[in-house]
Amino acid sequence: MLFNSYPFIFAFLPVTLAGFFLFGIRSRTWALGWLTVASLFFYAWWRPINVLIIAPSVLINYALAQLLRRLSADKKRSGVARAVLVLGIAFNVTFLGYFKYVNFLGTVLSDLTGTNFVLTQVVLPLGISFITFQKIAFLIDVYARRVVSFTFREYCLFVLFFPQLIAGPIVHFREMMPQFHQVSPRFDSENIAVGLTLFLFGLFKKAVLADGIAAHVTPIYESAAVGGDVSLFPSWIAAVGFTLQIYFDFSGYSDMALGLGRLIGVRLPPNFDSPLKASSIIDFWLRWHMTLTRFLTAYLYNPLALWLTRRRLAKGLPVLGGRNFSTGAFFRLLVGPTMFTMFVSGLWHGAGYLFIIWGLLHGVYLSINHAWRLFGPGLWPSKETYQRFMRPIGAVLTFLSVAIAMVLFRSPTAKAAIELLKGILGLNGISLPQQILERLGPLTRLMQPFVSISAAGTTQEFALAIAWVLVLLLIATALPNTLQIMARYGPAIGVQPGPADGATKLARALDWNPTLPWALAMAALGTASIMRLGGKSEFLYWQF
Amino acid sequence: MTDQEILLAFTRILRDLLADDSIVLTMDSTRADVPDWDSFKYVNFIVAVEMELGIRFGVADVESFKTVGDIVAETRSLLG
Repeated sequence: MLFNSYPFIFAFLPVTLAGFFLFGIRSRTWALGWLTVASLFFYAWWRPINVLIIAPSVLINYALAQLLRRLSADKKRSGVARAVLVLGIAFNVTFLGYFKYVNFLGTVLSDLTGTNFVLTQVVLPLGISFITFQKIAFLIDVYARRVVSFTFREYCLFVLFFPQLIAGPIVHFREMMPQFHQVSPRFDSENIAVGLTLFLFGLFKKAVLADGIAAHVTPIYESAAVGGDVSLFPSWIAAVGFTLQIYFDFSGYSDMALGLGRLIGVRLPPNFDSPLKASSIIDFWLRWHMTLTRFLTAYLYNPLALWLTRRRLAKGLPVLGGRNFSTGAFFRLLVGPTMFTMFVSGLWHGAGYLFIIWGLLHGVYLSINHAWRLFGPGLWPSKETYQRFMRPIGAVLTFLSVAIAMVLFRSPTAKAAIELLKGILGLNGISLPQQILERLGPLTRLMQPFVSISAAGTTQEFALAIAWVLVLLLIATALPNTLQIMARYGPAIGVQPGPADGATKLARALDWNPTLPWALAMAALGTASIMRLGGKSEFLYWQF
Repeated sequence: MTDQEILLAFTRILRDLLADDSIVLTMDSTRADVPDWDSFKYVNFIVAVEMELGIRFGVADVESFKTVGDIVAETRSLLG
């Protein structure tokens, strides 16, 4: 069931909430039990068979976690605990691997051997990538004794809780369970107001903004795959437009998830913090899909980098400490773990060559960014001048790098990706609709020699696409984000109002409060969104 | 070592690592408070502390430290 669908908004959500408050009259345990059952129904709605696929994995993980809990309490059996943890991670990775990568493995084998391998055609259970990462994190937390007690009921609620079930945020048991224990299953007007506002902001971002621009971006990718126009302008609209689309899509989804949790008084961790305002690629990954970055850093990058750095020191080789630099250390201790982590990130996003290249490209970006951090500031007279000049340049460079990489993420075929990237560089020439070229004033004569005329009847579409890109770009880079607007009401874990003196006039004017003007504004956004629903529009991240 | 001595050692190590002598750490400092203290520099910091003080953090603990104070507390307990 999609968050942005009539059955969810007008049937599932009201019934689930009503049940939650009704059972809440009896006790919190009953209310939470109802939530678990409703979540299972939510998951089963799309394809009931999914429940049968996911249930054994949920049960096996529970058994493993209980075993780990007992073993890790006993210092003498830490070796056994470690073995069980490794087994548990291997089980989850294999489970994900089977459903997500068997088809891709067939493709790779076919490509390598030049034959046509057909392994079993497997259908991906919804949300399996997110569910798997969450369960791996849970096993590690139990092993590390950050989670020391949990019942079967708590575990099921944690795993199945519908706001975050399909596409995150990837939550930790230790940040959720204390909240569930304190949840008041009574109607609370502040939670309902804040929750609904978050949900409507998210719905608007998804149904109006993301789906709106998608209508102008999708055709470019589809036509690029079959030899359509991939000249300069369409290619850039594809790159920048899709970057905006996926941002509004996934951050909209995340806002909706935050809102749904809040309706019953539970805060989820933040997932987006205006990533398109980032001033560097490192900064970008701290603001984009934050719970995935948190997961990959904690459970992949840190252990790997720690192990490599310690090993290198034990051998007496230089590491990257202090003010000295060693190329060997830079590549082994930084580039290595970074590339590996981003490779895994790429593969996690999708089973395909383009996703892997996308991940590796971001690995290269990050490595360059780190190298620049080691050398760059030294080239400037002072830290202040460096900051003042490089921040805006960094922001533009970051946005362009992200947008260009997104072409790989979105392109249906490798050929389309290559053609669009060539188009971005201007290698496929420039074409403009006749009417637009004529109206560029003095530019018309200047551009005439370089520009060819694109097919008739494209003028309106071209102008609309440019308008969509500009408007969404403005919203994403100039307006405060949902979390900032709602900051006063703690919309997500750890989000508090920023320092008041730093806030701009605009940010202060957009500070959300339960007032009539805001209620009217949200009703308008909600109505606009509801009217846009109906068509089949899945969240981009639901396929992962 | 007292907590204060550990904190001073941390400050010196981090200043050296980030080549920034203006850094002042307190028990409540978080990584977000220190410019450029990214995950890479964080791992380097942890290993530098381990080298200098002759201790070894648990991999899982490294991830769960929230404030500098958390690292100080763990360091103290590892130093015995």
